Amino acid sequence: MRSFLNQLNPSLKAITVVLLVCLLTFVFDPFTPLIYCMFTVMVTIICGKVAWKWYTLYFSVIFLLSFGMLWTTIAFADQPTNPGVTMHILFWDLPKEDVTVAAALTLRMLAFASLSFMFIFTTNMVDFILSVMQQFKLPPKLAYGVLAGYRFLPLIKEELIQIRSAHRIRGIHRANGIKGSIQQYKRFAIPLLAGAIRKAERTAIAMESKGFNGDRDRTFYRQFTLKWKDWGFLGMMLIVFLITVLFSMKLGYFSWYKGQF
Amino acid sequence: MNNWKLKEIIVMSVLAVVFGIVYLAFLPVGKLLVSLLGPIGYDFIFGIWFIVSIIAAYIIRKPGAAFLSETIAATVEMLLGNAMGPIIIITGMIQGLGAEAAFAATRYKRYSLWVLMLAGIGAAIFSFVWGYFRSGFTALSTPYIVSMLVIRMISGAIIAGLIGKTISDSLAKTGVLSSFALGKQIRKERSVS
Repeated sequence: MRSFLNQLNPSLKAITVVLLVCLLTFVFDPFTPLIYCMFTVMVTIICGKVAWKWYTLYFSVIFLLSFGMLWTTIAFADQPTNPGVTMHILFWDLPKEDVTVAAALTLRMLAFASLSFMFIFTTNMVDFILSVMQQFKLPPKLAYGVLAGYRFLPLIKEELIQIRSAHRIRGIHRANGIKGSIQQYKRFAIPLLAGAIRKAERTAIAMESKGFNGDRDRTFYRQFTLKWKDWGFLGMMLIVFLITVLFSMKLGYFSWYKGQF
Repeated sequence: MNNWKLKEIIVMSVLAVVFGIVYLAFLPVGKLLVSLLGPIGYDFIFGIWFIVSIIAAYIIRKPGAAFLSETIAATVEMLLGNAMGPIIIITGMIQGLGAEAAFAATRYKRYSLWVLMLAGIGAAIFSFVWGYFRSGFTALSTPYIVSMLVIRMISGAIIAGLIGKTISDSLAKTGVLSSFALGKQIRKERSVS
């Protein structure tokens, strides 16, 4: 059985995520993104069927990175307007303003990540491109071209292994030194790309010989439509964002992104 | 889209797929540099993330090549699991537009090294403006921001422009591009000399 999130129209789901990321960009306090991030993770857990092992792994990587971002933002911060107001964290006295800004940026990044993971982990990528073509008028020539290119992904991996074996057979070993490793990159990159281009040309000929002409006036085997629940999801995510903003305004945390340049 | 051959579209997509992987592979490198040098770390290697638009535009030489290839590469990067999600498609579009602007300024007629380097710089400027509003550079001091921009522009010119041209030229030498604009030009030059 496919769950709610996995059934939504892929392109409208992408638009929902992009819209919310844009909205969150305008928020500049730590509280709002934190709440919204938690909400998004909850939605993913309740309404989505995702590969949990990978989801957790991705999230932990982002979590570690956000810590790195937290300290670099504090370390390289601009001169605060109120240097007197400090905050005591472990052993350091840090300007409160810097800490707040850094926390806001970090939590914002986590909120972005939770939204995009909600999209990535519940969306089939072929469906996404097909849906962009059907709902948003992406030219079929481009859509099927991209799909063909995307299909090359596993083939490229295979080819890389072949090139490596070919090098080994001819007695070329791993390079040492910077110059050597640049040369090694070139030795791999050029045959790999050349092979990929040849394959691409053959694919194009095959598609055209079977009657593909990129006409917009065509039928689809797998059809995607926009249903009320897709719009409902967009509406729900927006309403919850609004509620979060109102809530944090009420608690006095909220601040707009008003030219902290 | 009508003056594009299907062959060109697929080759562009394949290039975008390959470099989408490269883009993703360089993210940890960038993160490492960032943790060593601070936010400026990314800018040293930022040119990597513009390279496909220069290569595709240089090989195919049609309006939109730089923009579309960068957009597709960003999409592939998202599909493979970039934490930024769908928003990265917009980032890719903006970077692609920056490179496209340089080619459009020459009316898609000139593809010399200088134009390619200019395209790299264009992508750097566009991506910087976008990053300025999105990633909160605002919290950083002004001289630091300016040096970030300058380093990113240099990186765009050298990594994307120069290395992009080198890769495309080496590809053309293998002969696989014989039916594309770059291959045709090289053949013409050879028959003249």
